[in-house]
Amino acid sequence: MKALAIAGINVRRLFRDRSNIFFVFVFPIALILLIGAQFGGGIDPILGVNDDAGGSISDAIVDQLQSIDAVDVAIYDDLDALTSAVERGHANAGVFLPAGMDQAAATGNPVEISFVVRPDGFGPQLRSVIGAAVAEVMKPVGAARFASLESGARFDETLESARALAIGDPGITINVSTLGEALFPESLGRFDLGASQQLVLFVFITALSGSAALILTRQLGVSKRMLSTPTPVGTILIGESLGRFGVALVQGIYIMAATLLVFGVDWGDPLGALLILVAFSAVGAGAAMLMGSVFSNDQQAGGVSIMASLGLAALGGAMVPIELFSPTLQRVAHLTPHAWAIDAFAELVRRGGTVVDILPELGVLSLYAVVLLSLAAWRLRVVITRS
Amino acid sequence: MPAALRIAGKDLKLRARDRSVFIIGIGAPLLLAFIFDLIFGGAFGAGGLTLEYGLVDEDRSEVSSAFSSVLDDLQDQQILTIQTFPDTDSARSAVEDGDLDAFFLIEAGFGQEVAIGSPQIGVVGDIDAPTATQIAGAIADQFSTGVEATKLAILTTAGVAGVPPTPEFITSLEGDPSSAAFTFQLTDESAATRQLDSTTYYAVGMAIFFMFFTVQFGVIGLLEEEREGTLTRLFAAPISRWSVVLGKAILSFALGFVSMSVLVIATSLLMGADWGPPLGVILLVLAAVAAGTGLMGMVASFARTPEGAGNLGAIIAVTLGLLGGVFFPLGQGEDLLSKLSLITPHAWFIRGLSDIAGGAAWTAAIPSTLALLGFAMVTGTLGWMLMRRRLRR
Repeated sequence: MKALAIAGINVRRLFRDRSNIFFVFVFPIALILLIGAQFGGGIDPILGVNDDAGGSISDAIVDQLQSIDAVDVAIYDDLDALTSAVERGHANAGVFLPAGMDQAAATGNPVEISFVVRPDGFGPQLRSVIGAAVAEVMKPVGAARFASLESGARFDETLESARALAIGDPGITINVSTLGEALFPESLGRFDLGASQQLVLFVFITALSGSAALILTRQLGVSKRMLSTPTPVGTILIGESLGRFGVALVQGIYIMAATLLVFGVDWGDPLGALLILVAFSAVGAGAAMLMGSVFSNDQQAGGVSIMASLGLAALGGAMVPIELFSPTLQRVAHLTPHAWAIDAFAELVRRGGTVVDILPELGVLSLYAVVLLSLAAWRLRVVITRS
Repeated sequence: MPAALRIAGKDLKLRARDRSVFIIGIGAPLLLAFIFDLIFGGAFGAGGLTLEYGLVDEDRSEVSSAFSSVLDDLQDQQILTIQTFPDTDSARSAVEDGDLDAFFLIEAGFGQEVAIGSPQIGVVGDIDAPTATQIAGAIADQFSTGVEATKLAILTTAGVAGVPPTPEFITSLEGDPSSAAFTFQLTDESAATRQLDSTTYYAVGMAIFFMFFTVQFGVIGLLEEEREGTLTRLFAAPISRWSVVLGKAILSFALGFVSMSVLVIATSLLMGADWGPPLGVILLVLAAVAAGTGLMGMVASFARTPEGAGNLGAIIAVTLGLLGGVFFPLGQGEDLLSKLSLITPHAWFIRGLSDIAGGAAWTAAIPSTLALLGFAMVTGTLGWMLMRRRLRR
């Protein structure tokens, strides 16, 4: 099989270059790890806290803040660090509990708490969250102060009875419930969403950057020499396409296996996942062949490859989930093969679909592959047989 | 010196004929900044959070209207928007249609339950607006705590006095028990903004990311001359060896500077990116291009072939870019990742521009400029020394 030999030489050429090993095998996994660590738990607003008071009341306030699901609490050592974090957007707002706060509360005086906000952020919205936490902790203090003023009794005595009474009072219950079906179910693992996005992104980048190798093959006259042997043009075309396809497929299988073993990523129905990968790798190979036949300068093709593969990945929902796009943008996204592949993975992983459920997506991907490969074959036949 | 400039000029002509440098230096960053801004929108930059709430008050008691007026106050402060709904069904469908983030539900009989019993306030939110829902919960919570504090103040006073908390007792009180809730004050300390808006963020990120690839066209030229044998011929000419190296470095620097300048202007005009005071931007761009030239010069000095240098340079540029936060900001607060990101010139460039973003003077860019120049010095000196050893052989 001459076509397989041509394909084989292409794969070998790729891996001879050690930097490709980095981009094909190391980088995708590192990126999945980083993105999972950064965004896997969802993005909650961050509330910076500097507890300068260090007393029991300020501790209780910090505990109360930490018990709120809606915000992540980050502790800062001093007011400067806290202010700078808010200014740089590392924290969305800051709370500064000043020294002497506990003392003021213990003697029944109002305490002053600084709230560090930026004019443009969503700090003001977090004000209520802090207000609720502080009010809860300060409730017996206020009651005790009032009772002490009314009855003339000592503050520490009234505080003691207020605390005892507060425990007995169930108060007003706040029932928080939610409506609708979650866009991303709770069962979705930390790395699950990112893994299928990165798979699509990298398989396409790797395939497309193979276009530069095809141009070199033409530039160095390798394809002409192949033609001078008793090898039909069709065989050369099939061989070159198979090479790009093979590399994309190998990388895809590697990413699936590695994320499954290392991060426990759920890929859903294995046959379905493999079919999506095969179809998408064929699309990538087709795009690479087309680019390799249209451009005649490998550096230009390299630049356009990066631009096109990152741009299409972003548009196709391989960076930010397509569900978060506006309706118009969602339609635009479905012009890219990426969106169809990601939809198919979502069907398998999030809705427990099987091969039958992803047939439409597989059909669209196959259509892309056929169109791209035929265009490329026609173009390439013209370029390599031209004298 | 003129020899170095002539070499740089010749290479510039070569690079301009081969259009790759325009694709990498201008086309790719501009297009990707535009797409990223379109897709990511306000996900990472500075920006606000809108809270759209509804209220269903089936109770219409004194307490429930007090809650309603608390919400109205928050609306006046432009913290949230509030709409009233006649019944639960209409509010539910508003949440389901995405018109509301959440609504508050006060059921009939709430007012009586507050006095004796177990009162409840419902918060029903959109499952995909968890933050807004939780904030609604906090608002209800803060109001409830105020009501509870009032009640607790009455009970404590009655307890100390040893009498039951009858209505007569409450009216006999001198002060207003609801004042018991006001035991603390949240004072706003306004902080400046030292963060880029999202459009500028992507313009800046893509510009610095691709600059490292653009400057490669210069320094790698040296390795190409070496492979093609033209380097030995240049050395035979009556010019110093250093003019040749300097010529390539000048070209790198010029390519980087020109492409960055074009990007600054193009993103400002086409996308509305706001880079800040021009003097600060120029300083940062110059220092960043110097850092890029130094780093890629160092890479070229120990690579064997031009392709090797290109590939190694790409690995380093992509890794540093990712760590430096050109695609998304890395790390939160003071954790390890955000500290790690400060080893990259990318992070310093973004930081410098953030420092001058919120209306600060250009001088605020100086610390980051110095960090970038330090990076340029270290990598440039190392590259120069390694290249010297290599060319002596």
